Amino acid sequence: MVFFLFPPNFSGEFWAIRRIIKKEGGKTASEGAKRKSPKLFYEVNTVFTGLLRTVILYVLIIAGVRLMGKRQVGELEPSELVLSLIIADLASVPMQDYGIPLLTGVVPILALLCVTMILSVLTMKYVGFRAVLCGRPSVVVCNGALDQREMARNRLTVDELLEELRCQGYTDLSLVKYAILETNGKLSVLPYSNQKPPTARDMKVSVQESGLPRVVISDGRLLEHNLKALGHDRPWLEQQLRQRGCKGAEEIFLMMVDEQGGVYLARRELE
Amino acid sequence: MRRLWISVGILLFLLGGSLFNAWYAKELTGGMEQRLRLAQQLTEQDQWEQALVLTQEVYDQWESRHFYLHATMRHSDTDQILRGFRTVMEYLRLQEPDQYNAANADLITQLELLAEMEQPSVVNVL
Repeated sequence: MVFFLFPPNFSGEFWAIRRIIKKEGGKTASEGAKRKSPKLFYEVNTVFTGLLRTVILYVLIIAGVRLMGKRQVGELEPSELVLSLIIADLASVPMQDYGIPLLTGVVPILALLCVTMILSVLTMKYVGFRAVLCGRPSVVVCNGALDQREMARNRLTVDELLEELRCQGYTDLSLVKYAILETNGKLSVLPYSNQKPPTARDMKVSVQESGLPRVVISDGRLLEHNLKALGHDRPWLEQQLRQRGCKGAEEIFLMMVDEQGGVYLARRELE
Repeated sequence: MRRLWISVGILLFLLGGSLFNAWYAKELTGGMEQRLRLAQQLTEQDQWEQALVLTQEVYDQWESRHFYLHATMRHSDTDQILRGFRTVMEYLRLQEPDQYNAANADLITQLELLAEMEQPSVVNVL
Protein backbone atom coordinates (compact mmCIF):
# COMPACT_ATOMS: atom_id res chain seq x y z
CA MET A 1 0.00 0.00 0.00
CA VAL A 2 2.88 2.33 0.78
CA PHE A 3 4.02 2.00 -2.83
CA PHE A 4 0.75 3.54 -3.98
CA LEU A 5 0.96 6.39 -1.51
CA PHE A 6 4.58 7.42 -2.09
CA PRO A 7 6.94 7.57 -5.04
CA PRO A 8 9.46 4.69 -5.34
CA ASN A 9 12.37 6.77 -4.03
CA PHE A 10 10.30 8.10 -1.14
CA SER A 11 11.92 5.99 1.59
CA GLY A 12 15.46 6.93 0.51
CA GLU A 13 14.57 10.63 0.55
CA PHE A 14 12.83 10.27 3.86
CA TRP A 15 15.83 8.72 5.57
CA ALA A 16 18.21 11.19 3.96
CA ILE A 17 16.06 14.01 5.34
CA ARG A 18 15.86 12.32 8.72
CA ARG A 19 19.64 12.03 8.86
CA ILE A 20 20.00 15.71 7.95
CA ILE A 21 17.61 16.66 10.74
CA LYS A 22 19.49 14.51 13.24
CA LYS A 23 22.75 16.21 12.29
CA GLU A 24 21.13 19.63 12.70
CA GLY A 25 21.01 19.32 16.49
CA GLY A 26 23.80 21.77 17.44
CA LYS A 27 23.43 24.28 14.58
CA THR A 28 22.38 27.93 14.79
CA ALA A 29 18.86 29.10 14.09
CA SER A 30 19.79 30.52 10.68
CA GLU A 31 21.37 27.23 9.59
CA GLY A 32 18.36 25.34 10.88
CA ALA A 33 16.02 27.63 8.94
CA LYS A 34 17.62 26.51 5.66
CA ARG A 35 16.37 22.96 6.44
CA LYS A 36 12.95 24.10 7.52
CA SER A 37 10.90 22.36 4.87
CA PRO A 38 12.49 18.87 5.29
CA LYS A 39 11.92 19.04 9.06
CA LEU A 40 8.30 20.00 8.56
CA PHE A 41 7.97 17.15 6.08
CA TYR A 42 9.39 14.71 8.63
CA GLU A 43 7.01 15.88 11.36
CA VAL A 44 4.00 15.70 9.06
CA ASN A 45 5.05 12.21 8.01
CA THR A 46 5.30 11.05 11.65
CA VAL A 47 1.80 12.27 12.41
CA PHE A 48 0.54 10.69 9.21
CA THR A 49 2.11 7.35 10.15
CA GLY A 50 0.47 7.49 13.56
CA LEU A 51 -2.90 8.35 12.05
CA LEU A 52 -2.72 5.61 9.44
CA ARG A 53 -1.65 3.02 11.99
CA THR A 54 -4.41 4.00 14.37
CA VAL A 55 -7.06 3.71 11.65
CA ILE A 56 -5.76 0.34 10.43
CA LEU A 57 -5.59 -1.17 13.92
CA TYR A 58 -8.93 0.31 14.93
CA VAL A 59 -10.69 -1.15 11.88
CA LEU A 60 -9.01 -4.48 12.53
CA ILE A 61 -10.18 -4.58 16.16
CA ILE A 62 -13.71 -3.50 15.26
CA ALA A 63 -13.82 -6.31 12.68
CA GLY A 64 -12.57 -8.74 15.30
CA VAL A 65 -15.12 -7.70 17.93
CA ARG A 66 -17.87 -7.79 15.31
CA LEU A 67 -16.88 -11.34 14.37
CA MET A 68 -17.08 -12.35 18.02
CA GLY A 69 -20.78 -11.47 18.06
CA LYS A 70 -22.96 -9.48 20.46
CA ARG A 71 -21.90 -11.38 23.56
CA GLN A 72 -18.41 -9.92 23.28
CA VAL A 73 -19.73 -6.60 24.52
CA GLY A 74 -21.36 -7.75 27.73
CA GLU A 75 -20.91 -11.33 28.80
CA LEU A 76 -17.54 -12.84 28.10
CA GLU A 77 -16.46 -16.45 28.06
CA PRO A 78 -12.93 -17.01 29.34
CA SER A 79 -11.40 -17.31 25.88
CA GLU A 80 -13.20 -14.15 24.77
CA LEU A 81 -12.06 -12.24 27.83
CA VAL A 82 -8.46 -13.26 27.18
CA LEU A 83 -8.77 -12.17 23.58
CA SER A 84 -10.18 -8.80 24.61
CA LEU A 85 -7.41 -8.21 27.11
CA ILE A 86 -4.59 -9.19 24.76
CA ILE A 87 -5.89 -7.61 21.60
CA ALA A 88 -6.11 -4.12 23.10
CA ASP A 89 -2.56 -4.33 24.39
CA LEU A 90 -1.23 -5.64 21.08
CA ALA A 91 -2.86 -2.84 19.16
CA SER A 92 -1.68 -0.08 21.48
CA VAL A 93 2.04 -0.87 21.16
CA PRO A 94 2.57 -0.15 17.42
CA MET A 95 -0.04 2.60 17.68
CA GLN A 96 2.11 4.53 20.15
CA ASP A 97 5.64 3.48 19.20
CA TYR A 98 6.46 4.30 15.57
CA GLY A 99 9.79 2.50 15.91
CA ILE A 100 7.99 -0.83 15.92
CA PRO A 101 6.77 -2.22 12.59
CA LEU A 102 3.01 -2.24 12.14
CA LEU A 103 3.22 -5.92 11.26
CA THR A 104 4.23 -6.74 14.83
CA GLY A 105 0.75 -5.62 15.86
CA VAL A 106 -1.23 -6.82 12.86
CA VAL A 107 0.17 -10.37 12.65
CA PRO A 108 -0.51 -11.31 16.32
CA ILE A 109 -3.98 -9.76 16.19
CA LEU A 110 -4.83 -11.71 13.02
CA ALA A 111 -3.41 -14.87 14.58
CA LEU A 112 -5.46 -14.33 17.75
CA LEU A 113 -8.65 -13.78 15.78
CA CYS A 114 -8.02 -16.93 13.74
CA VAL A 115 -7.31 -19.03 16.83
CA THR A 116 -10.42 -17.66 18.53
CA MET A 117 -12.50 -18.47 15.48
CA ILE A 118 -11.09 -22.03 15.39
CA LEU A 119 -11.81 -22.49 19.10
CA SER A 120 -15.29 -21.07 18.60
CA VAL A 121 -16.11 -23.55 15.82
CA LEU A 122 -14.64 -26.45 17.81
CA THR A 123 -16.66 -25.54 20.92
CA MET A 124 -19.81 -25.54 18.79
CA LYS A 125 -19.03 -28.94 17.33
CA TYR A 126 -17.65 -30.81 20.35
CA VAL A 127 -19.36 -30.64 23.76
CA GLY A 128 -16.30 -32.07 25.55
CA PHE A 129 -14.05 -29.42 24.07
CA ARG A 130 -16.55 -26.75 25.11
CA ALA A 131 -16.42 -28.01 28.70
CA VAL A 132 -12.61 -27.86 28.66
CA LEU A 133 -12.43 -24.39 27.18
CA CYS A 134 -15.40 -22.66 28.80
CA GLY A 135 -15.98 -24.84 31.86
CA ARG A 136 -19.33 -26.15 33.07
CA PRO A 137 -22.08 -24.33 34.98
CA SER A 138 -21.89 -25.01 38.74
CA VAL A 139 -24.99 -25.54 40.85
CA VAL A 140 -24.14 -23.72 44.09
CA VAL A 141 -27.64 -23.85 45.59
CA CYS A 142 -29.75 -26.97 45.15
CA ASN A 143 -33.24 -27.20 46.67
CA GLY A 144 -32.47 -24.28 48.95
CA ALA A 145 -29.27 -25.87 50.31
CA LEU A 146 -25.78 -24.51 49.72
CA ASP A 147 -23.35 -26.80 47.93
CA GLN A 148 -20.23 -25.80 49.86
CA ARG A 149 -17.87 -28.00 47.89
CA GLU A 150 -19.02 -26.44 44.63
CA MET A 151 -18.72 -22.98 46.15
CA ALA A 152 -15.17 -23.71 47.29
CA ARG A 153 -14.30 -25.10 43.88
CA ASN A 154 -15.45 -21.84 42.29
CA ARG A 155 -13.91 -19.74 45.10
CA LEU A 156 -17.32 -18.21 45.71
CA THR A 157 -17.77 -16.84 49.21
CA VAL A 158 -21.08 -16.81 51.08
CA ASP A 159 -21.03 -13.00 51.04
CA GLU A 160 -20.61 -12.93 47.26
CA LEU A 161 -23.41 -15.46 46.81
CA LEU A 162 -25.78 -13.55 49.07
CA GLU A 163 -24.90 -10.30 47.31
CA GLU A 164 -25.69 -11.83 43.93
CA LEU A 165 -28.97 -13.21 45.29
CA ARG A 166 -29.93 -9.82 46.75
CA CYS A 167 -29.15 -8.19 43.40
CA GLN A 168 -31.74 -10.48 41.87
CA GLY A 169 -34.31 -9.78 44.58
CA TYR A 170 -33.87 -12.83 46.82
CA THR A 171 -33.04 -12.25 50.48
CA ASP A 172 -34.15 -15.65 51.74
CA LEU A 173 -32.07 -18.60 50.58
CA SER A 174 -34.91 -21.02 51.31
CA LEU A 175 -36.91 -19.45 48.45
CA VAL A 176 -34.27 -20.45 45.93
CA LYS A 177 -34.57 -23.85 44.31
CA TYR A 178 -31.44 -23.54 42.19
CA ALA A 179 -28.65 -21.00 41.92
CA ILE A 180 -26.30 -21.76 39.06
CA LEU A 181 -22.97 -20.08 38.49
CA GLU A 182 -22.74 -19.82 34.69
CA THR A 183 -19.52 -20.09 32.68
CA ASN A 184 -19.59 -16.35 32.01
CA GLY A 185 -19.47 -15.66 35.76
CA LYS A 186 -23.12 -14.68 36.16
CA LEU A 187 -25.44 -16.28 38.71
CA SER A 188 -28.76 -17.64 37.45
CA VAL A 189 -31.37 -17.90 40.20
CA LEU A 190 -34.39 -20.18 39.83
CA PRO A 191 -36.93 -19.85 42.66
CA TYR A 192 -39.37 -22.55 43.74
CA SER A 193 -42.42 -22.67 41.50
CA ASN A 194 -44.65 -21.30 44.27
CA GLN A 195 -42.37 -18.27 44.55
CA LYS A 196 -42.58 -17.37 40.88
CA PRO A 197 -44.99 -14.58 39.87
CA PRO A 198 -48.07 -15.97 38.16
CA THR A 199 -48.21 -15.68 34.41
CA ALA A 200 -51.24 -15.08 32.22
CA ARG A 201 -51.23 -18.79 31.35
CA ASP A 202 -51.16 -19.75 35.05
CA MET A 203 -54.18 -17.51 35.59
CA LYS A 204 -55.85 -18.80 32.42
CA VAL A 205 -56.23 -15.28 31.06
CA SER A 206 -56.26 -14.66 27.32
CA VAL A 207 -53.85 -11.89 26.35
CA GLN A 208 -53.55 -10.52 22.84
CA GLU A 209 -50.06 -10.78 21.35
CA SER A 210 -48.85 -7.31 20.34
CA GLY A 211 -45.81 -8.50 18.40
CA LEU A 212 -42.65 -6.55 17.79
CA PRO A 213 -43.16 -2.77 17.65
CA ARG A 214 -41.19 -1.08 14.87
CA VAL A 215 -40.07 2.50 14.49
CA VAL A 216 -41.92 4.04 11.55
CA ILE A 217 -40.95 7.69 12.04
CA SER A 218 -37.73 8.66 13.75
CA ASP A 219 -36.94 12.33 14.35
CA GLY A 220 -39.15 13.43 11.46
CA ARG A 221 -37.80 10.82 9.01
CA LEU A 222 -40.09 8.14 7.61
CA LEU A 223 -38.63 4.62 7.68
CA GLU A 224 -40.34 3.10 4.64
CA HIS A 225 -38.91 -0.40 5.07
CA ASN A 226 -40.40 -0.70 8.58
CA LEU A 227 -43.76 0.56 7.35
CA LYS A 228 -43.76 -2.03 4.56
CA ALA A 229 -42.59 -4.78 6.92
CA LEU A 230 -45.67 -4.10 9.08
CA GLY A 231 -47.89 -4.46 5.99
CA HIS A 232 -48.99 -0.82 5.88
CA ASP A 233 -48.66 1.90 3.24
CA ARG A 234 -48.40 5.68 3.13
CA PRO A 235 -52.20 6.33 2.95
CA TRP A 236 -52.60 4.30 6.15
CA LEU A 237 -49.84 6.32 7.81
CA GLU A 238 -51.32 9.64 6.66
CA GLN A 239 -54.69 8.59 8.04
CA GLN A 240 -53.12 7.70 11.39
CA LEU A 241 -51.36 11.05 11.52
CA ARG A 242 -54.56 12.96 10.62
CA GLN A 243 -56.48 11.13 13.36
CA ARG A 244 -53.87 12.40 15.83
CA GLY A 245 -53.94 15.96 14.47
CA CYS A 246 -50.60 15.85 12.67
CA LYS A 247 -50.00 17.18 9.17
CA GLY A 248 -46.87 15.22 8.29
CA ALA A 249 -43.96 13.08 9.43
CA GLU A 250 -41.80 16.14 10.07
CA GLU A 251 -43.97 16.95 13.12
CA ILE A 252 -43.27 13.57 14.73
CA PHE A 253 -40.30 12.79 16.95
CA LEU A 254 -41.07 9.07 17.32
CA MET A 255 -43.79 6.84 15.97
CA MET A 256 -43.84 3.14 16.73
CA VAL A 257 -46.35 0.65 15.37
CA ASP A 258 -46.82 -2.93 16.51
CA GLU A 259 -48.07 -5.89 14.50
CA GLN A 260 -51.64 -5.38 15.77
CA GLY A 261 -51.72 -1.80 14.51
CA GLY A 262 -51.16 -0.26 17.94
CA VAL A 263 -49.51 3.15 17.60
CA TYR A 264 -47.21 5.01 19.96
CA LEU A 265 -46.64 8.59 18.92
CA ALA A 266 -44.47 11.37 20.35
CA ARG A 267 -44.62 14.80 18.77
CA ARG A 268 -41.59 16.92 18.19
CA GLU A 269 -41.14 19.63 20.74
CA LEU A 270 -41.21 23.05 19.14
CA GLU A 271 -37.85 24.82 19.11
CA MET B 1 -16.95 -25.20 8.82
CA ARG B 2 -16.12 -22.54 6.22
CA ARG B 3 -14.99 -20.14 8.99
CA LEU B 4 -12.83 -22.86 10.46
CA TRP B 5 -11.03 -23.51 7.20
CA ILE B 6 -10.61 -19.79 6.47
CA SER B 7 -9.09 -19.29 9.93
CA VAL B 8 -6.82 -22.30 9.49
CA GLY B 9 -5.85 -20.98 6.05
CA ILE B 10 -4.97 -17.51 7.39
CA LEU B 11 -2.99 -19.04 10.24
CA LEU B 12 -1.06 -21.24 7.81
CA PHE B 13 -0.46 -18.22 5.58
CA LEU B 14 0.88 -16.23 8.56
CA LEU B 15 3.02 -19.18 9.59
CA GLY B 16 4.37 -19.58 6.05
CA GLY B 17 5.00 -15.85 5.82
CA SER B 18 6.91 -15.76 9.10
CA LEU B 19 9.01 -18.77 8.09
CA PHE B 20 9.75 -17.18 4.71
CA ASN B 21 10.70 -13.98 6.50
CA ALA B 22 13.10 -15.93 8.74
CA TRP B 23 14.69 -17.63 5.73
CA TYR B 24 14.90 -14.38 3.73
CA ALA B 25 16.45 -12.43 6.63
CA LYS B 26 19.05 -15.16 7.06
CA GLU B 27 19.85 -15.21 3.33
CA LEU B 28 20.03 -11.43 3.08
CA THR B 29 22.24 -10.83 6.09
CA GLY B 30 24.30 -14.00 5.48
CA GLY B 31 25.38 -12.74 2.06
CA MET B 32 26.19 -9.32 3.49
CA GLU B 33 28.25 -10.80 6.32
CA GLN B 34 30.30 -12.86 3.83
CA ARG B 35 31.10 -9.82 1.71
CA LEU B 36 31.96 -7.68 4.73
CA ARG B 37 34.40 -10.40 5.89
CA LEU B 38 35.84 -10.47 2.37
CA ALA B 39 36.27 -6.69 2.49
CA GLN B 40 38.15 -7.08 5.78
CA GLN B 41 40.47 -9.63 4.16
CA LEU B 42 41.12 -7.14 1.33
CA THR B 43 42.14 -4.47 3.84
CA GLU B 44 44.58 -6.95 5.39
CA GLN B 45 46.14 -7.19 1.90
CA ASP B 46 46.20 -3.38 1.80
CA GLN B 47 43.50 -3.20 -0.91
CA TRP B 48 41.50 -0.41 0.72
CA GLU B 49 39.82 0.85 -2.46
CA GLN B 50 38.42 -2.57 -3.38
CA ALA B 51 37.28 -3.06 0.20
CA LEU B 52 35.46 0.28 0.09
CA VAL B 53 33.77 -0.62 -3.21
CA LEU B 54 32.66 -3.99 -1.80
CA THR B 55 31.35 -2.44 1.41
CA GLN B 56 29.55 0.25 -0.60
CA GLU B 57 27.83 -2.51 -2.62
CA VAL B 58 26.68 -4.17 0.58
CA TYR B 59 25.46 -0.82 1.88
CA ASP B 60 23.54 -0.19 -1.36
CA GLN B 61 21.96 -3.61 -1.09
CA TRP B 62 20.94 -2.78 2.49
CA GLU B 63 19.40 0.51 1.37
CA SER B 64 17.55 -1.18 -1.50
CA ARG B 65 15.81 -3.48 1.03
CA HIS B 66 14.73 -0.50 3.08
CA PHE B 67 10.97 -1.14 2.80
CA TYR B 68 11.23 -4.81 3.72
CA LEU B 69 13.56 -4.09 6.64
CA HIS B 70 11.40 -1.34 8.09
CA ALA B 71 8.19 -3.30 7.62
CA THR B 72 9.49 -6.36 9.46
CA MET B 73 12.33 -5.33 11.79
CA ARG B 74 12.51 -2.98 14.73
CA HIS B 75 13.49 0.43 13.44
CA SER B 76 16.03 0.96 16.21
CA ASP B 77 17.89 -2.19 15.08
CA THR B 78 17.92 -1.23 11.40
CA ASP B 79 18.98 2.33 12.26
CA GLN B 80 21.84 0.94 14.34
CA ILE B 81 23.05 -1.11 11.36
CA LEU B 82 22.74 1.91 9.08
CA ARG B 83 24.98 3.84 11.47
CA GLY B 84 27.37 0.88 11.51
CA PHE B 85 27.67 0.95 7.70
CA ARG B 86 28.40 4.67 7.74
CA THR B 87 31.10 4.22 10.39
CA VAL B 88 32.74 1.31 8.58
CA MET B 89 32.85 3.19 5.28
CA GLU B 90 34.32 6.26 6.97
CA TYR B 91 37.12 4.18 8.51
CA LEU B 92 37.71 2.57 5.11
CA ARG B 93 38.14 6.01 3.54
CA LEU B 94 40.49 7.03 6.34
CA GLN B 95 42.31 3.67 6.04
CA GLU B 96 42.33 3.13 9.80
CA PRO B 97 42.88 -0.63 10.21
CA ASP B 98 42.26 -0.95 13.97
CA GLN B 99 39.14 1.19 14.01
CA TYR B 100 37.85 -0.40 10.80
CA ASN B 101 38.30 -3.96 12.10
CA ALA B 102 36.44 -3.15 15.30
CA ALA B 103 33.60 -1.34 13.48
CA ASN B 104 33.31 -4.07 10.82
CA ALA B 105 33.18 -6.81 13.46
CA ASP B 106 30.47 -4.86 15.26
CA LEU B 107 28.48 -4.45 12.04
CA ILE B 108 28.75 -8.16 11.18
CA THR B 109 27.59 -9.07 14.69
CA GLN B 110 24.60 -6.73 14.39
CA LEU B 111 23.63 -8.31 11.07
CA GLU B 112 23.94 -11.79 12.60
CA LEU B 113 21.79 -10.78 15.56
CA LEU B 114 19.17 -9.21 13.29
CA ALA B 115 18.71 -12.47 11.36
CA GLU B 116 18.94 -14.57 14.51
CA MET B 117 16.09 -12.60 16.08
CA GLU B 118 13.79 -13.71 13.22
CA GLN B 119 14.69 -17.41 13.34
CA PRO B 120 12.00 -19.88 14.48
CA SER B 121 14.13 -21.35 17.25
CA VAL B 122 13.19 -22.53 20.74
CA VAL B 123 15.63 -20.00 22.18
CA ASN B 124 13.77 -17.16 20.51
CA VAL B 125 10.39 -18.50 21.51
CA LEU B 126 11.46 -18.80 25.13
